[in-house]
Formats: sequence, C-alpha cells, structure tokens
Amino acid sequence: MTSRERALGWLAGLGLTAGLVMAFGVAPREATQGNVQRIMYLHVPAILVAYLAFGVVLVASVIYLWGRAAGADRLAHASAEVGVVFTGINIATGAIWGKPTWGTWWTWDARLTSVSIMFVVYLGYLLLRAMIEDRERAARFAAVLGIVAALDIPLVHFSVYWWRTLHQPPTLLRPGSPPMDPTFVLALMVNLVAFALLYGYFTAKRVRLLRQEEEEVFA
Amino acid sequence: MPDNWSFVLAAYGLAALVLGGYWRRLLRRERELVARERRCGAARDEPRPTPTSPGPPIPRR
Repeated sequence: MTSRERALGWLAGLGLTAGLVMAFGVAPREATQGNVQRIMYLHVPAILVAYLAFGVVLVASVIYLWGRAAGADRLAHASAEVGVVFTGINIATGAIWGKPTWGTWWTWDARLTSVSIMFVVYLGYLLLRAMIEDRERAARFAAVLGIVAALDIPLVHFSVYWWRTLHQPPTLLRPGSPPMDPTFVLALMVNLVAFALLYGYFTAKRVRLLRQEEEEVFA
Repeated sequence: MPDNWSFVLAAYGLAALVLGGYWRRLLRRERELVARERRCGAARDEPRPTPTSPGPPIPRR
C-alpha cells in the first residue's frame, strides 16, 4: 500500500466517523418524516459520488481514445467498479427509505427507473471488459461505452424535472440554496466529503491492483 | 410519523456490509498478488545446479 493510499484510507475513515456523528448526533429529527429521514445522509452522497465516479469514467475514456494511455484505461475501469458499488447503495437505501415514506419499496418512477438503467449499463461495462480477452480491444470498446453511458447521468439528475415523479427534486446540485435548515445541509456535506474520500481510496487501490495484474500478465 | 428506526438501521447496516465487503475483496486481491509475486520471485532466485566437473570429453570424429 502506498503512503497516499494509506492517508486517503485514514481520511475516509475519519470522514465516515464524522459523518455518522453528524447524521445521528448533530442533525435534528426531521419534523415530518421523523428519524427515518436520516437515511438521506447515506442515500444522497452515494448517488453524488456515483455521478463523480461515472464522470471520471467519461473523462478517462476520452483520454484513452485520444492517446491510448493505459493509465487512463485503468482509471476508467476502477472508477466504474467503485461507481457501481455506490449506485447499488443508493438504490438499496432508496428502497428502504421508500417503504415507510411512500408505502412501497419500489415504483417505476422516472428517477428510480433511470438510476436502475444507469446501474445496469455500468454493470454491462464491467461485463464487457471481463468478456474480451484482448486487453487493447477491451479497453477500446469499454472507452466507447464509457462515453455513451455518461449520457444517462444528466437523464438521472433531471428526470425529476422532465417527468412527473414520486421522487422529490434534487436536494443539492439545484439552482438556488438547498431547501433545508443549514444543520441538515452541513451533515449532508460532511457525509458527501467522507464518501468522496472513500471513493478516492477505493479507486486508488483498485488502479494499483489493476496495474499489478497487468504487470504480472506481461512478465 | 413513527420513527422507523429499524429502516434506518437496515439502510446503514446494508451500506456498511456492501462497503466492507468491497474493501475486503480489494484486500484479498492485494494479498493474492503479493503472494503470487513472492512465489514467482522465489522461483526466479532459486539456485540452478552448476556442473562440478567439465564432463566426459567429446569424441573427435
């Protein structure tokens, strides 16, 4: 493990601890939903970090197609894998939050449907990489898919504006100030930073492992 | 509205399981790669038998 990785790991651990303290100790009980609203501190950062991860896949894929840099391909691969993990957490926690508040675990609402499409598309991306044995071909095909798949990110985010949905509009990444008390926003931001650090730690580790795997193959 | 603490616990517990599981998977892969590298390194460094005598003379035709 490199020193940068170790530092990121410790920072992510500290961030997650701070996030838990903010979510359960500092943020007050929400007046309408009660304590079940505390799932938001997990659900919202998970999707925002997934957007970040898939945005990195997009940029790294363009760089790979431009100059065939193996490092960019490894970054895209690692970022997609971590992004899928965070999207899975977002979908699962959303279903758990939906049951007591909406009365259902799942509904084919525009936001839920577009997020699940994004999840399946990036799973397909990982599957495509695993199925093609020739490393260069796998990287090229995956880069094209990584660019096309990114079209789903704005679709997910703006789905709540473009269609009538059960899901509420975005809490962050919206025009104007967040429609919440500053304490809720602070708790959300601390958790977002913690998740972003965790994303950085996982991705750095995965990139290094992918490089070692490749060196082993070519040795 | 009731607090539904069981749903909160389920969400946080599930997230911890998924993130912990992925972390463990990365650590396991790391250990496998280190072990394989060590095995390959040991095989490369293993001393090869060196001939102690020049052997029988090659008959001349």
